Amino acid sequence: MTIMRQELTQLGGGAHALATQLLGNADDAADAVHDAFEAVLRRPQAYDSRKGPLKPWFLRVVRNRCLDMIRRRRPSAMPVEELIDPGTTPEEALGVDQRRMAIKQALAMIPAEKRELIVLRDYLDLSYAQIADVLGIAQGTVMSRLHRSRIALKEALDNDAQ
Amino acid sequence: MLSNTKPMDEHVGELLSGYIDGELTQQQRQRVEIHCGNCGKCESELSALRALRRDVSNSRLSEYGEDVWREKMDDTTVKVTRSIGWLLFLGAVLICGGIGIYAFVFESSMGTFEKLLIGAVYGGLALLFISVLRQRLIERKADKYKDVEI
Repeated sequence: MTIMRQELTQLGGGAHALATQLLGNADDAADAVHDAFEAVLRRPQAYDSRKGPLKPWFLRVVRNRCLDMIRRRRPSAMPVEELIDPGTTPEEALGVDQRRMAIKQALAMIPAEKRELIVLRDYLDLSYAQIADVLGIAQGTVMSRLHRSRIALKEALDNDAQ
Repeated sequence: MLSNTKPMDEHVGELLSGYIDGELTQQQRQRVEIHCGNCGKCESELSALRALRRDVSNSRLSEYGEDVWREKMDDTTVKVTRSIGWLLFLGAVLICGGIGIYAFVFESSMGTFEKLLIGAVYGGLALLFISVLRQRLIERKADKYKDVEI
């Protein structure tokens, strides 16, 4: 249980990044991750280590929680603009880290299903098999979907730069 | 030998992502390498995708550090243990109450009238408690400002 708690603590940041991209709001994302912690700690036996590592399993729990929250929301309550700046630091505001800021802005411009693929692969470093597991899709479709998502992000970055 | 034609560019397209992710078979990797050696467009796209991957990987998409999650985890542990505590407490109260009611109704030497009178007092109190509790729960659920800290 203690090992699981330590692992979950380390996974919190990544899970929050994924939830933020899905929900468009850092506070709602924190609630989703917190709820996922609660669900996992209440029934730790639900995780079977023989079926794979904790990371993709926990990310799937967080993603399901986010999808539940989206379903409950009214369609108008999707504050995507918050994605652009989920906690701007003074350096970012001064333009010291413009590339990092540009990535956040470009991510906010592409659809959520593309954002989550990019975050799962490039930010959370999941393998294609793990991504397929988290998203519940065929492993064979991950590469093409991811490629389309990256092209969309690249175009959003290029458009933003112009 | 792969040519530098447009259809071939499109064909290699998604393999470029698989290549930078290390998810291709050896044969597919060789195909991408040979193609990119002959196709400037795909080679520059490969470099652009690599840079993009590096930038996303280095970006900071969550402002919450491990300390925050450790605190939230502790908070979660408190909630979970509290729920278990309440469950045990209420379970024990219900069982004790049941035993008490059984003893009062069936094993007490009191007359029927006294039993009904005392039963009405406790029954009334219980109904009042349930009514207030229900009202409070409805209010709590509907209160938009319950999370506002003053």
